[in-house]
Amino acid sequence: MKWITRERPKIDRIACPWLIRRFIDKEAKFIYVPFDEVKKQAELLGAIPFDIPEVEFTHYEDYCTFDYFVKKYKIDDPAIETLTIIVRGADTDRHNLAQQSAGLWAISAGLAHNITNDHELLEQGMIIYDALYSWACHLQNESHTQNPFEKLLMQTLGDYLKTSQKRTPKWAKELKNIIQDQIDTQLSLSLKDISKDLNVNPSYLSREFSKYFDDLSFGDYIRKLRIEKAIQLLQSPVYSLTEVAYLTGFSDQSHFTRIFKKHTGQNPSEFRKNLSKK
Amino acid sequence: MKWITRERPKIDRIACPWLIKNFVDKEATFIYVPKEQVFEKAKELQAIPYDIPGAEYSHVGDLCTFDYILNKHKLQDPTLLQLATIIRGADTNCMDLAPQCAGLWAISAGLSYLYHDDQEQLIAGMKIYDALYAWAKHVQNEKHTWNPHL
Repeated sequence: MKWITRERPKIDRIACPWLIRRFIDKEAKFIYVPFDEVKKQAELLGAIPFDIPEVEFTHYEDYCTFDYFVKKYKIDDPAIETLTIIVRGADTDRHNLAQQSAGLWAISAGLAHNITNDHELLEQGMIIYDALYSWACHLQNESHTQNPFEKLLMQTLGDYLKTSQKRTPKWAKELKNIIQDQIDTQLSLSLKDISKDLNVNPSYLSREFSKYFDDLSFGDYIRKLRIEKAIQLLQSPVYSLTEVAYLTGFSDQSHFTRIFKKHTGQNPSEFRKNLSKK
Repeated sequence: MKWITRERPKIDRIACPWLIKNFVDKEATFIYVPKEQVFEKAKELQAIPYDIPGAEYSHVGDLCTFDYILNKHKLQDPTLLQLATIIRGADTNCMDLAPQCAGLWAISAGLSYLYHDDQEQLIAGMKIYDALYAWAKHVQNEKHTWNPHL
């Protein structure tokens, strides 16, 4: 099938051809002509006009032509759903619709500026939408971080968030082990950062967290493990109290003493003294 | 000059070659090898290692390798500085640094998924940065609205 639209495409007139070729008609041909020739040439060439006013394949209210194709051809694919919102945001200058819209717009506008031949531009654009689609299918929950531990933690939580299990899920057990492993070296785990990277609301994550961690919040749970670590360190005479506070991630000793007492009912120094009595 | 870094690039390891080729050394060539071979191969091939901990050309504090090259080579084109913010956000997962970060990240991560050959990915990626640069320099104030009464 042949499709025809206005020349100098930016978003919709690249994204729709991509969608048609990948999901509707592999052999489709696309023709770009000046705006006022679209209808005339459509009749002449037996091509379907799209993304111009007063044709079937066009914008409806706030929705762009890409939306119409998805609806018309009943393309039921969650990754396409994600793409649709990004494309709509970039095409209708509402960059707050999706986080990726502004970047898609910048790259597309730049490509159109650099490439003056519309067919070359389409080929280049196909790569962009193939990439966006791959991202939406496979990598949406992956963030670019250089910290392998954080990556592991997020992967575990991400896996959980994709499923919704009722019993204590595997992720909670795994997470428990990961936190335990890391408590020795890394004490600055922030639920807020993690939820930001995961693209979920921090309060949702913290609510889910406490369901599986003895009703404790993320912060309380980490604090509990730090105190347990402190207890373990206090049993060895090698470390001073200041060192124990430092090693368990407390920046000042009075804070350490306060939290320690709240958990154990004793000051760290009392605790150590009682130990040696035994 | 030859430049060498870790294989399977996403952001910095595509953006830096683009920057070097366009603003530092037109003749530069780029090599991607497994992480543990970077320094060894760098010596062997007399290439400059970059974007790997322990190299001069790498992340410093919150700044990424792209930033380091800008500073080191005193590149002050305001368009490049704007690009640096977008690239830093996408590379260090600080998507709120610029509105374009998340889109650049999605497209770049997707490209890395599509291409299995790093050199082919580099060629495709170069066009993305050409486009971002052209947008920032020439058309960033242009709005795209669909006007039914064109």
